[in-house]
Amino acid sequence: MGLESSKWIIMFLVCWLYKNVNSSSVAQKIYVEVNDTVPCVRLLNATHQIGCQSSISGDTGVIHVLESEDDLEWPLSKGPNPPYVVLLELSLFTRSIMMKMKESSSRVAGVTVVVPNANPAEFSPHTTCPNDNTGVYSDTYGPDYAHCNQTVWNPLGNGLSYEDFDFPVFSLKEDNGTEVIKQCYFDHNRVVNGSAPQYPLCAMQLFSHMHAVTDTATCMRRNEVGTFSLNPEMVCDALGDFNVWASIRPYNSSDLGHKDNESVVIAAARLDSRAFFWDVSTGAEGSISGFVTLLAAAQALRQVTEEAPPTHNILFAFFQGEAFDYIGSSRMVYDMENGKFVINLDNVHSILEVGQVALRNGTDLYLHSDPVSRMNNSINDKVKRLVINLQSSTKGVNFSLVEPRFSQPLPPSSLQRFLRAQRIPGIVLADHETSFNNKRYESYYDNANNLNLTYPSNLTTEEQLVFVTDTAKALAEVATVVARALYKQAGGNESQVDNITADPKTVTQMLYGFLVQTNNSWFQARVSPELKNQLKSSPPEFYVGVASSSKPKTLTHLVQYLLANLTGAATNLSQSQCQKPDELPGESKQMYSYLWVQGMIPPNSTEAESFCVRASVQLSPAMSPAFDLGEYNSKIYSTWTESRWKFIKARIFLVASRDLEMLTLGVGVAVLFTSLLMTYFISTKADVLFSSAREPASAAY
Amino acid sequence: MHIQSNFTDCRSLCNLTTFTNTKWTYQETNMNLERLPNDEKLSLCRKYYLGGFAFLPFLWLVNVVWFFKEAFFKPAYTEQLQIKTYVKRSGLGLLLWVAVLTTWITIFQHFRAEWGEVGDYLSFTIPLGIP
Repeated sequence: MGLESSKWIIMFLVCWLYKNVNSSSVAQKIYVEVNDTVPCVRLLNATHQIGCQSSISGDTGVIHVLESEDDLEWPLSKGPNPPYVVLLELSLFTRSIMMKMKESSSRVAGVTVVVPNANPAEFSPHTTCPNDNTGVYSDTYGPDYAHCNQTVWNPLGNGLSYEDFDFPVFSLKEDNGTEVIKQCYFDHNRVVNGSAPQYPLCAMQLFSHMHAVTDTATCMRRNEVGTFSLNPEMVCDALGDFNVWASIRPYNSSDLGHKDNESVVIAAARLDSRAFFWDVSTGAEGSISGFVTLLAAAQALRQVTEEAPPTHNILFAFFQGEAFDYIGSSRMVYDMENGKFVINLDNVHSILEVGQVALRNGTDLYLHSDPVSRMNNSINDKVKRLVINLQSSTKGVNFSLVEPRFSQPLPPSSLQRFLRAQRIPGIVLADHETSFNNKRYESYYDNANNLNLTYPSNLTTEEQLVFVTDTAKALAEVATVVARALYKQAGGNESQVDNITADPKTVTQMLYGFLVQTNNSWFQARVSPELKNQLKSSPPEFYVGVASSSKPKTLTHLVQYLLANLTGAATNLSQSQCQKPDELPGESKQMYSYLWVQGMIPPNSTEAESFCVRASVQLSPAMSPAFDLGEYNSKIYSTWTESRWKFIKARIFLVASRDLEMLTLGVGVAVLFTSLLMTYFISTKADVLFSSAREPASAAY
Repeated sequence: MHIQSNFTDCRSLCNLTTFTNTKWTYQETNMNLERLPNDEKLSLCRKYYLGGFAFLPFLWLVNVVWFFKEAFFKPAYTEQLQIKTYVKRSGLGLLLWVAVLTTWITIFQHFRAEWGEVGDYLSFTIPLGIP
């Protein structure tokens, strides 16, 4: 019994030690984890895979800090210790260097890009002709304009975002983490006078193993086949999210399809953007400038459309996933064509899209239109009408609206998807006449600095929030013009037009929220309590990400709530009534959406005064029709999917030479076999060896 | 000691037959092929041989391994000739299976990616991250 209980005590003791004593494991002594890395991940479409991946057990290589393009010789041919993990500054993250490494990828185990905090002069990893194959221009529609024959929209684009690398590429913020790596490099790997460094060498291991491969058709098929497997495993998910839309006169959401005697002016903007690395895009000029302008215009129109409603309806549409072959707009057009939207394409009067508008070059903004559809006289007249409505709205602002001086196609825009389906008069408002003014299109650096959004250094966060920047003033003016033009275009009362002005303070608060930090008092007051927890001290993610059928992205949610606040009305419904408004007379969930928002914290109080906002804001799916139709090799619709992965991490450690590793292994194996052999001999000769030992033992009894 | 280990080896193999005939279970889990009367050896060998035709090449493998000594190295007895035939045929069938399976596995592994859709539908477990 005593033996038994002491056994238990020992066991508890062992368990307690195991749980409570922090042993520093061998792994901790060997590896230094590199935190705050962002990987490049694999995306797939109908025909290609793009992005990066490591092998399943991670790719390890000796670190080489690249100093110039000529220095590539060391990792790619001369260096005696391949493979290498090349650490490079953003200035060396060029197409030529990356392609050289891609060609000799057997000597390159991975690439780590050190991302500086200051913006480079120009950097765009996107293609020169964004969304080339899914726009309107093709061999059958304006072949002269197809494939950016006339105007190369993004001449700085190096196309790296659309390359496929078979080694991992990670980005690393320039801070202490990179210093540790560089120190490790200088201590161990530094090449002195061209002679090879001595072991042990500093190595880096990158894990970003991607499950999906080849193309979307393959990975979607494997998603389905995989369900019959012993360990079902999804390999990829479609990109997508939700579009946000609102109309000044609400539509009954159960009454879909064509509406007689209905004519709608659509005002559109895009929400998303992308970058080379997974989820770090900001799209300040690429998307925020446009949708913030449109949000401000929607707010500017609220009062006047209540007092003097225009003849036509105005629908504000914010499209998600436009960076990936127009996911949001193509879906809305598809829904309109198939009677799954509250209006159909015949109801569309005209479209005004707000593109990139914050980087004005001089005093002109440009009105882009489609030269192919304008060859039709009636369309041409309607486009001219829209142009006049826009140009006549610039009273009191310090810029003018002009059409490009020569015939050129539409820049990449959601309008192109509408034109693909039907010839609808439309204008894209943008700050560039030909190629983009944006020198950092679809990159990590399309951020607040790209818009020269600076705040005086002595301001607190609250003061920064309400500080009206020059950018905000400029965008508010654009919003004013857009709002007036929309009102005129919708047949509004001319005498009311001058009362429409967008509020620069709203614009500056939105810019602050989307570009500096979402966690600010202005956003907090306008979102639901659940959404409030998703606010953080950085901009939201602008990468569309994988589609979830129920939960919109934070960005989409934010735009939904802001739009509701800016265009809707505060009601005095309680929180429970807000959830079930149908039980009340005069309220209808089919016509409006009812959103419970936090509200402002009044002075001398700590409790926010929450209330229910009633607005005609709705979410509609921004999921490519290709996935609903099962046409994974569609040439018409976006087929982008994102691969799944198990984990992504990076770590550095010191490696011994191959010879030493082999020697260690050899000695280990030799010791094992020697001991086996010895045991065998001892056991066969046991009676001889231990016979004398046994006798005294028996004698003792 | 040596015999002992042989005995346990055999037992694990004999357990295979528990599926077919419960009566055997008692006998064979306690038995040694050496102690079995010759006619029972033959009947056992035949059962394994015939069982192999039900797409069970492993039965043939067991048969070959188990009765190899019995068929070719034991001093002659009446039933040995027949046991020899069964062992030979089992061996032949086994070789055929090995050849067919090896060929198929080689072809499948080599061309799975190329076959695309067909390759995926033929696969039970699809490897991650490779074509």
